[in-house]
Amino acid sequence: MTTTSSRGRRRAPSRIERAAGKAAALQKPRVILALLLLLALTSVMLLDGYLRAEVGGDQRVRTGASASKVPDKVLDGGPILTFQGGQATTVSVPDKTIALTFDDGPNPTWTPQVLEILQEYDVPGTFFLVGSMVSRYPDIVKDMVDEGNEVGIHTFTHVDLSYQSDARVDREMEQTQLALAGAAGITTTLFRAPYSSETDAIDNYSWPIYKKLGEDGYTSVFVDTDSDDWKKPGVSKIIKWATPEDGKGASVLFHDAGGERSQTIKALPTYIEKMKAAGYTFTTISGVMQEQNAAARQASGTGGQQAAGAAAGANGEQAGNVPNGQGGTGGNGANGANGQTVDRLQAAHREATGVTLYEGKALIAAVTLAEWTVPTLSVGLMVVGVAVMGRFGMMLILARRHYRKRNKRRFSWGPTVTRPVSVIVPAYNEKECIANTLKSLAKSTHPIEIIIVDDGSDDNTSEISREAARALGMTNVRVIRQENAGKPAALNNGVRSARYDIVVMMDGDTVFEPDAVHHLVQPFADPKVGAVAGNAKVGNRNTVIGAWQHIEYVMGFNLDRRMYDLLRCMPTIPGAIGAFRREAVLEVGGMSEDTLAEDTDITIAMHRAGWQVVYQEHAKAWTEAPGSLKQLWSQRYRWSYGTMQALWKHRKSLTDKGPSGRFGRVGMPLVVLFQIITPVFAPLIDVFTIYSMIFIDFQAALLAWLAVLGVQLGCAAYAFRLDREKYRYLLMMPLQQLAYRQMMYLVLIHSCITALTGGRLRWQKLKRTGEVGTPAGVS
Amino acid sequence: MFVDNSGRRSKLLRRIGLLMGVGCLVYAVVLGAAFMGWGTSLAPSSLLPFGNGGPGGAQNSGPGGYQPQGGIGTPPSMPTGTPPSGVATGEPPSSAPTATATASAAAN
Repeated sequence: MTTTSSRGRRRAPSRIERAAGKAAALQKPRVILALLLLLALTSVMLLDGYLRAEVGGDQRVRTGASASKVPDKVLDGGPILTFQGGQATTVSVPDKTIALTFDDGPNPTWTPQVLEILQEYDVPGTFFLVGSMVSRYPDIVKDMVDEGNEVGIHTFTHVDLSYQSDARVDREMEQTQLALAGAAGITTTLFRAPYSSETDAIDNYSWPIYKKLGEDGYTSVFVDTDSDDWKKPGVSKIIKWATPEDGKGASVLFHDAGGERSQTIKALPTYIEKMKAAGYTFTTISGVMQEQNAAARQASGTGGQQAAGAAAGANGEQAGNVPNGQGGTGGNGANGANGQTVDRLQAAHREATGVTLYEGKALIAAVTLAEWTVPTLSVGLMVVGVAVMGRFGMMLILARRHYRKRNKRRFSWGPTVTRPVSVIVPAYNEKECIANTLKSLAKSTHPIEIIIVDDGSDDNTSEISREAARALGMTNVRVIRQENAGKPAALNNGVRSARYDIVVMMDGDTVFEPDAVHHLVQPFADPKVGAVAGNAKVGNRNTVIGAWQHIEYVMGFNLDRRMYDLLRCMPTIPGAIGAFRREAVLEVGGMSEDTLAEDTDITIAMHRAGWQVVYQEHAKAWTEAPGSLKQLWSQRYRWSYGTMQALWKHRKSLTDKGPSGRFGRVGMPLVVLFQIITPVFAPLIDVFTIYSMIFIDFQAALLAWLAVLGVQLGCAAYAFRLDREKYRYLLMMPLQQLAYRQMMYLVLIHSCITALTGGRLRWQKLKRTGEVGTPAGVS
Repeated sequence: MFVDNSGRRSKLLRRIGLLMGVGCLVYAVVLGAAFMGWGTSLAPSSLLPFGNGGPGGAQNSGPGGYQPQGGIGTPPSMPTGTPPSGVATGEPPSSAPTATATASAAAN
């Protein structure tokens, strides 16, 4: 009792320490940077989704609602609705006057064409802009305003506001104002609700919104004649529908966006010409209000001349309703310099200043960045898709061909190799494993000499090896001790001491199958073969991480190596099991300490020297894979960093001639594509899946993700079949793929950063448990 | 391979990293602010140069409930008179009294 409690007490601070350690790890600059990048990526994707109405989009449109609560004078009134001191007032367009209004823009294709037409005929228009489009195409809006057109708000995402909360309505308006401020340096007081048309279509649900916005100071603008151009009814019908009766004035609705608008573009010049010929003048919404205002003043408040002015007593208010008098606009209009006419036509505009202006500009910049980022990511995703699928296709074809070719009854490398070979076992603190390793070698069916190179171990590895050799009655074991100098030096030491012309290299923690050496050296019957890669198997596959690596090894060795073998550009002979021609190793200068992946380095060097490197699937060795995520991380970190070093070291092969150039032009791109580019972009599969699942189509996204998984699963199953492995480990595959993608990505980024900063990366020895036994015990 | 003993590269990269981090943070904050409408108040009534209680509310002695209180309900009330030259270039505050006078004169 006391013991446990005291132990518990003693343990408590260590737990805190551990938590503190984790907290400290989270504060590492690179972790913070990674999290910030993730935050920015999330923002970019959410923004992009919001702009495309994938995030927060709402397709609902209300129809057929009652209008019982809407005042009759509004329903029957003119198309311009303002609220004076809370009192609804409508203004109609004077006779023989047209206010051209364009909804849903800007659009990069059609809006510039509309603007050109308006310029040509020297008529102003009023554009009700969708904020998201404004932020995506700010230049068009700037031109639009500079050319003297008026702009109004058509919400940010073109939603039916009657379904939205007050807060959303406010946000839609403010966001659009910000976008306008960023694009053209103005804000506006004009508003038109999406899906609105004539005033008599106002219903009980939309009325409160007009009222609220009106009280905020917005002027809601409706329609007298609707061209219905979005129905694409043909030019003549558009013109007919847009024309008011009997010389009346009208606020006319066209669309410069939201679909294919060539009919609008065609109809517009004809329409303008026709109306001009009929004696009409063109103005903006503010222009209409000015005119009515002047008319009301002339009538000195005792009754209007215009039909819309019929609501007696409203005239005075109407007068006060004009969004901006000429007097005050001097400093307000976006282009006060253009003179008073233009000013009056853009009286609804306010100059954006201060925070609004800068925040607006920042918004535009943020949108621009998102508009660039998301397509780039999509290209990345496409690269991954093509790479993953292409690789699998290629692997399936080549692996099959490789399997058929090498397992043909009549296939042979040449006369059977029976001469003895040297097995080099570099060992650094391998006391747990070395005895097992020796035991497995003792059963070798091929004559061998064993050279254990003790790389300055301090755990009696040498003694234990000698002891084990004596116990096993092996006379062919030599133990060489050297000062701790690293694995490459130990291997070189072993190669120098080897008596035979073929050297087999293995790790101190690896266990060979009895016939492994025999199979491994057979390809040397072909004098062109300089090195052979064996088939490494994960021994400790009964943990989650072990199973992951098992899948990876089976796929990696079986499919990848078979493919690389046939393409004659194997990038790596595994350190766990590989054989070399001694002269070839010496020819390329032995193992080098230039890189952390000496196995990749020397394999590439062999290729460059013109030797063939092949894969021998039947030579099986059991190795102990990293048992924890942390160890796996550090192993992969070293591998990917080492691979990058090796690729960089041999970069000249790209321009070489002969076999070196061949590897440079075939092998290098493949390795770069599959081991660097693919892992960097692979997490995009999951990022886009999550995004699509949340915001677009849950089922379709999930299905797409599962389809990718299915392809991978199929390939893995094929690999398992070729290796005669049990399929049950494939159950771990979905999780493995998900976890591996993120881990390999992080590992790669980590090693890229290390490479860029030029930091020194040291060999880290993996912790061994020695649990990998003889093959029989494992399988 | 890749080892840089001078430490200059790592310093440069650290700076780039810092810059990127700050950039990312700023990006997220700007978007958040723009989305939520923080830091700006963009309803036209609050953008008006003439502030609250413009002449619009005073005229016609409309229903008391609709008297502008605070910012809400203040319409974009601007002088309706036509002083083409006098006030045109004036800053909003200086033109305010004149404008109000004109407007109320017109209303009365």
